[in-house]
Amino acid sequence: MSTVLLSKAEKSYITAGLKQNPPQRADGRHLTDFRLISLETGIADLANGSSRISIGRNVNDNGGGTEIFAATKLEVESISVAETSEGREGGRLAINVSCSPAAYPHLTQITLEDYQHDLTAILHATLSHSSLHPNNLSIIPGKKSWLLHLDLLILSDAGNIHDALFLAARAALWDTKVPKTRSVEYKAPKSNITGSGANEASDMDVDTAATSGFSTRTHLTHATDFELPDYWDEGEVLNGRDRWPVCVTLNLVPPIHFLDATPQEEAAVPRRLLLMFSFPPSSSSHEPTLQAMRTLGTGELSLAQIKDLIQIGQKHALDLYTALNVKLKDEDVRRTLKAQERFASARR
Amino acid sequence: MALSNFDRRRVNGPEDSFAPVYAPQNDQNERDPFQRRKRGPLDVRPIFLQPGLITQANGSAYIETEHTKIACAVYGPRQSKNVSYSESGHLNVEVKFAPFSCRRRRAPLRDAEDRTIAIAVHQAIVSSVRLELLPKSTIDVFVTVIEADGIEGVIASASIAVSTALADAGIEIFGLVVSCSASLIGGGIWLDPSEDEVSCSEGTIIVSCIPALGTVTSVWQGGQIPPKSVVDAMEKCQSRCTDIHKIVAQALRGYSSHNPT
Repeated sequence: MSTVLLSKAEKSYITAGLKQNPPQRADGRHLTDFRLISLETGIADLANGSSRISIGRNVNDNGGGTEIFAATKLEVESISVAETSEGREGGRLAINVSCSPAAYPHLTQITLEDYQHDLTAILHATLSHSSLHPNNLSIIPGKKSWLLHLDLLILSDAGNIHDALFLAARAALWDTKVPKTRSVEYKAPKSNITGSGANEASDMDVDTAATSGFSTRTHLTHATDFELPDYWDEGEVLNGRDRWPVCVTLNLVPPIHFLDATPQEEAAVPRRLLLMFSFPPSSSSHEPTLQAMRTLGTGELSLAQIKDLIQIGQKHALDLYTALNVKLKDEDVRRTLKAQERFASARR
Repeated sequence: MALSNFDRRRVNGPEDSFAPVYAPQNDQNERDPFQRRKRGPLDVRPIFLQPGLITQANGSAYIETEHTKIACAVYGPRQSKNVSYSESGHLNVEVKFAPFSCRRRRAPLRDAEDRTIAIAVHQAIVSSVRLELLPKSTIDVFVTVIEADGIEGVIASASIAVSTALADAGIEIFGLVVSCSASLIGGGIWLDPSEDEVSCSEGTIIVSCIPALGTVTSVWQGGQIPPKSVVDAMEKCQSRCTDIHKIVAQALRGYSSHNPT
């Protein structure tokens, strides 16, 4: 969905520039250069995890660029056998993309909804696949689990929306903290069952803390409910958060391809290949895996070309993944430092 | 809402009702999970393809691969209405599921998944149609899924049916588009997986191509597959597509020799 309309002459001017040797792009970038990406996590206080990303924002006036907010919110969901209830053992993910009408002023409401739906479909299919499912979303086995909502809001679109969405999603999921829970079960106190002394006790309003029927020990056989232990820290991170994929969009002008297209370039180049790669943690010996691949737009490709593009895409994705990981760890450190300073100043 | 027209004098059914849960009937996974039943890993389900079943449409096709049954009608090219001038034609694909097409009833008018499939079919087909020859016009393609056995199978079969119907309608295309799906199960590649096979697979891929030109029009992959296996699966799909192409060509030739126009 291009955000700009271009004449034929403009389109051919852009593609001719790209095909030149050396290639020419309007902003002077190399074919495989990204624009400046800025990322911040923990921007929404009420969310369990959040991030804000902008690609290609103007450094001087902070204007322009693709801008996306992403936030996760956890909800408790009951699991039941009924097929109508969507709760599932081990929790589930629900992902939604919404576009601000301000980002697409020329689209009608109906086309905007279709576009949102298309973006939602691609993110949901990729991120909620069982191979990426975090295994700490369960609360009480067979009864309750967490439903993880990931909502992405596109505030403005200056090209390369798929890459930006996946970066934002990865950052928000990385940042997500699942609250710690403790199972609770109720047992009838033995003293209440027999003996007149116990009856007297129940008639009177006595503090029964010592013989409370509640048990919150870790290994419960018949957990009926759960409680949140009263801790300051927000919980534990999602399991396997290294695995969340990154997306690279290869814009294709055979024989060349380029990354991070601007809206003008997107309008001029109809063919795109989306590759979502997941990189397992460096310690394990597993290979990187493709989590999704989509072709977009018109035009044709041969199988040999796709084979090459997958290899090249993997290289670009690894670069992007490494850069993003460094930034995310940086953000973690920055935010812990901030918290420590706040506590230190409060103590003084 | 329920109380307002609640009739105490009748026997009222329960508030909720659920689809029955069937016991698994000697499932293939119990004996040997990586051994396919009934067919080899690279076999596709037999295809029945019949062009021209819907007489009022400009072109139509009906495809049946075991439990996947899809009817497709093509109307047009006809004048685009209420749209500003466009230099090239517009291909409009709409997919509808019959309420009885899946294991659970699909409520009509809820088209979240329908649009996803329509997008996939559109992507597979649009590169083959010579839309630049049809300014100011629209080609409407209506796909009705009568019975579905796995989304992957539906997308692949629907793409074949749409391409056949376009050829039947006499619309200029570069070549017939055929597509084939594959799934990765236990490290092996199974072509044309059924719904049950997809549910226990690690990942799936749908490849649409024009065998006459040797080009790929669409690749649609999901799940978790190592890049090497993706390439391997695409090659297997493409070689199987050549066989499917023969079936489509034969169906069209058989139909046109019976119905000379």
